[in-house]
Amino acid sequence: MFSMKHTSKLALPVLSLCSALLFTSCDSKEDNPTPDADSSFVVSLAIQGSDGGFTYYTVPFRDVMSGSLSAKGKGIEQPGYFDFTQIDNTIYSIGGLDDVNVVGISKTETGELKQVGNVSFPNSLSDIVKADDSKLVALEMASTSDMVKFHTINSGTVSVSSTKQHRVSDITNLSAPSYSGMTISGNHLYLSYYISDPNTFATPHTDKAQIAVYSYPGLEFQKVIEDNRTGPIGGFNTKSGLIKDERGDVYALSHSNPANGYSQTTNKGGILRIKSGETIFDQSYFFDVEQVTGGKNIAHLKYLGNGKALAEVNSADNSQQARWSDGPLRTAIIDLNSKTVTYINGLPEHAGNGRRLAAVQDGKYVYMAIPEGDGIFVYRIDTETNTATKGAEVEANFVAGISKL
Amino acid sequence: MQQFIKVIGSFVSMLALMCLDYTAWAQEADRASVVGKVQTASGEALTGVSVVLQEAKRGTVTDAAGHFELTGLTPGDYTLLLSFIGFETEQRSISLKASQKLEVNVSLREKSFEMKGVEIIGKSATREVNEQPYAVTAISTRELQNSTSDAKEVLNRVSGVRVMEEGGLGSNLSFTLNGFSGDQVKFFLDGIPMDNFGSSLQMSDIPVNTIDRIEVYKGVVPVWLGTDALGGAVNIITNRKANFLDASYSIGSFNTHRLSLNGAYTNPANGYTFRGNVNYNYSDNNYRVLVPIKEGSNIIDTTEVERFHDRYRSATVKLETGWVNKKYADNLLFGVIASGNDKQVQTGATMNSVYGGIIRNSQSVVPTLRYSKDNFLLEGLNVSLYSAYNITKSEVIDTLRGVTYNWLGEATYTPGSNNGELRRTYTTFDDNDFNSQLNAGYVLSPMHSLAFNYALSFFRRETFDAENPDRIENQFPRSLNKQVLGLAYKFDPTERWSTTLFSKFYLLHAKTSKEYDFALETQRIEALETSKNNFGYGLATTYFLLPDLQLKASYERTNRMPWATEVFGDGLFILPNPDLGPEQSNNFNAGAAYGFKLGNDHQFNLESSFIYRDAEDLIYQVVRVATPETYYDNLSQTRTLGVEGSLKYQWRDMLRLGGNFTFQDITDQADVIYNESYTNSGYQRNFQKGFRLPNIPYMFGNANAGLTFRNVVLPESVWNLNYYYNYVEQYFLSWAELGSRDTKKVIPTQSSHNLELSAGFREGKYNFAIECRNLTDAMLYDKYYLQKPGRAFYLKFRYVL
Repeated sequence: MFSMKHTSKLALPVLSLCSALLFTSCDSKEDNPTPDADSSFVVSLAIQGSDGGFTYYTVPFRDVMSGSLSAKGKGIEQPGYFDFTQIDNTIYSIGGLDDVNVVGISKTETGELKQVGNVSFPNSLSDIVKADDSKLVALEMASTSDMVKFHTINSGTVSVSSTKQHRVSDITNLSAPSYSGMTISGNHLYLSYYISDPNTFATPHTDKAQIAVYSYPGLEFQKVIEDNRTGPIGGFNTKSGLIKDERGDVYALSHSNPANGYSQTTNKGGILRIKSGETIFDQSYFFDVEQVTGGKNIAHLKYLGNGKALAEVNSADNSQQARWSDGPLRTAIIDLNSKTVTYINGLPEHAGNGRRLAAVQDGKYVYMAIPEGDGIFVYRIDTETNTATKGAEVEANFVAGISKL
Repeated sequence: MQQFIKVIGSFVSMLALMCLDYTAWAQEADRASVVGKVQTASGEALTGVSVVLQEAKRGTVTDAAGHFELTGLTPGDYTLLLSFIGFETEQRSISLKASQKLEVNVSLREKSFEMKGVEIIGKSATREVNEQPYAVTAISTRELQNSTSDAKEVLNRVSGVRVMEEGGLGSNLSFTLNGFSGDQVKFFLDGIPMDNFGSSLQMSDIPVNTIDRIEVYKGVVPVWLGTDALGGAVNIITNRKANFLDASYSIGSFNTHRLSLNGAYTNPANGYTFRGNVNYNYSDNNYRVLVPIKEGSNIIDTTEVERFHDRYRSATVKLETGWVNKKYADNLLFGVIASGNDKQVQTGATMNSVYGGIIRNSQSVVPTLRYSKDNFLLEGLNVSLYSAYNITKSEVIDTLRGVTYNWLGEATYTPGSNNGELRRTYTTFDDNDFNSQLNAGYVLSPMHSLAFNYALSFFRRETFDAENPDRIENQFPRSLNKQVLGLAYKFDPTERWSTTLFSKFYLLHAKTSKEYDFALETQRIEALETSKNNFGYGLATTYFLLPDLQLKASYERTNRMPWATEVFGDGLFILPNPDLGPEQSNNFNAGAAYGFKLGNDHQFNLESSFIYRDAEDLIYQVVRVATPETYYDNLSQTRTLGVEGSLKYQWRDMLRLGGNFTFQDITDQADVIYNESYTNSGYQRNFQKGFRLPNIPYMFGNANAGLTFRNVVLPESVWNLNYYYNYVEQYFLSWAELGSRDTKKVIPTQSSHNLELSAGFREGKYNFAIECRNLTDAMLYDKYYLQKPGRAFYLKFRYVL
């Protein structure tokens, strides 16, 4: 049936079909590197798309001190806005802004990352803190809602076991309290906040520090404690207004800094203390940060041990800070007992990300990602010598989390 | 059709004659002549038959009565050749004596008598469209008239085209054409932009039997459509027959009912015409979806549930009256379109959030005027004008307080809470939209012609939110004024070659409001007024290498202005973006189409084309997994490389097989991204340069097979059995390449099968069709896991007078 004449007629269609196939075959780019089994560092890379949206990739790395760190073909993908906090051997990714899920990221026995949990909340969670070895407490507090909700979460399964709701009016009649820090110590949950207008983000109330105290595990509202020696505790989205030491003493940081969400400063910055088991500010303790630093304030705090904490210190006075800029910052180690601030050598002044500080402690070292020039680099800080060493370049627009599992 | 063949035949004959060497007419008395009549075997006179006296190099064509006459011939022996398209050439030997007037009457035998199939030489409107120099596909819906399909389903079978649906009947549709999506592709109804018909007249509301054909222009859009569409255009041509009545009703799964009544009456004496069209669509859309079930904050299960808040109703009445074929107008028609719809809203841009109370509705009244006249004032000057004034009122209602729903339809009440389900609102939009389109074409000579187009669109919106009457942004006027001027020159140097050169000038003026200095002391909302104008140009050319092998190429530098919904939002899930700018691109298309026959019964048609597109500030809908809300934004640099092909096979008129395949690689080519936040703000490296754009299918295809039987079971009956297969390769919801493949959010590979049986009786007077869609009950999605209906059945009855 198909004579020679017919064959020549078929030549053109066959050719065009071949060209189509050729095009398709160009497409088969398959590279899926297997993760290193002994990768103990986990870095959450935030990548911005041309459409302005962010996608987060939580990627394991063995070495963060050389080469470059890329999410190409590896890591757990999470599109949206996520905040990462490590509690024991799990990294909890908390969906912010719109996404309202919490996922636990931990390691399998073979060293691969796995995701646990399937919970979802109507408003995004402000934070998750450790209650005990098997329980976490999550806070749901939004300027658009008139309720404050505490969710008790099973840390292994990442599921909500109970929820306790309170009226926002318990803690203030002002509009509206904005979350700045939470910690559980002994039989109390301490919640710090500052008043920020939900529409204009102005902060007209900056004269005193306020912390709401709830019972734990009952999560009943007890009282709001106040102190006039410094301004409100914490700032916008840094989530480090309250830290706790080994003894259970809670330290509360105030900075009233425009770079971290304040429209005015009316009281000097400093650190207050609530002694373990107490529900009052320790009137014998005040760390006058501005006096030690020459007028500068601390934006972020991460407790390290033995009364020492890693601090991101603003390198300009409050009056010089651009609003919301979270910087420029210098990294220091502070001693809460001797009330000293020691800057780290070899680490450049840098910009902040306006969110929870991404840093991980590993023995005497702290690893942090520092934006520098056009790139972002991992720095390893030796907390004994107060010096830093530059490491790998991170292929991301910012680093949302750095952990060790 | 016969008439049409004759016209073409006479044209060809004239051409043949021009090639003959004319000798001077001799006036001598002893010259001889030949006269005669040419007719068909059945005695019908044939007009335009070429009559050639070979040796004398003389010729003529037959007149309307089939007569011919050749005079002034030198006596002698001659061969008389009579030829006509569709007939066997007849050869007669004649001998002419001096002064003789010989009469030769000839009957021509039709060629088709010797063939097993009928070969149609005249070109259908569909094929003529396909042969334009533009990359265009025209789909005739003639074979589909009885089908339960609507315009959207017909389009989805065109190569390079994907219709993305958010759900069932009445759900939002978006359309991608070679990677161009949404409103980069413009829709026209009979050459008139559909934008101004409002949401109550959508593609899925147009039943297939009101449609004559659909033309899909890929890339370069002809000037006469006069638009700033940059990805292409779809022109739906409705049935323009003078007298007809067509009524259909279809019923299907999910309580779907669709009624369509369609007709036209034209008085042959005075040209008075009246046409009307009534459509009604209803569906509960309560199909099953696989979704997570929440209890409190925990997701306790993932199970199949019925959608419970997704009813859609729409009705459209379209009336047109006026005069046709008058001295002053070929068409002078006044019309009015009245339409309304209401829709329950089940989900936003993703299925993570579910709603049980949100409703939106819309009502439109559109007076229209249509005028056209060929040879207006001047021979060869054709003008047409279409104007429409659209008054639309629409509402977005989210007024439940403190209520949230889960997928089981269970409501949770939070006492004291005033929160809406999404954002408490009762918003009313009052839209006024004037659209006018003026076309003028002038044929200078068969080789040269000019076309001019002016399109004006003025949109104005007033917004009021009863739940937030003081909302500042609603106090500002919103308007969008667009004008497009186009001029084209068409050059047809030979029958085989046609080229069009064109330029377009675009003007945009927009008024809206914008929030400045978010969260700073200077935070404020201010009026924003922008004016833009751009210039575009292009070239489209086509060449027939063989009579059945056509090559096409086109290039265009073009612009697209954002339009109302993109800038102003829709009041619910689409957020406004006052900063949205126009998009520019360089488009290049090249393609070939080839049709050939193997033997008499096997007809093949092949088409393939290549697309290259380089776009700046691509207007792109940003959908995030995390939120039910979306918005439009500009992507600074993207590139599309694509290839598509289609193959059709027909055996007699009994069996049809076809398929098409599209591969499009749309990649981000921007070196930098811009961070708008207050920390690390400014330009940063784009780590996703060269990666494929998320949430757009890149490889897809479909295939179909059809069988036609005539006069089986019943006399005068036609039975059609059609099978359609659709395939979409898996694609990512986020930018490709970063992250491990197993954690990436994907829309998995999809295959769906539709089967349809239709029958027509009494020469197409009574018809019915039965269809099963998604035969295998596969999980189908378009866009972010928005699940589409599973297996569904539809039954349609149609009566044609």
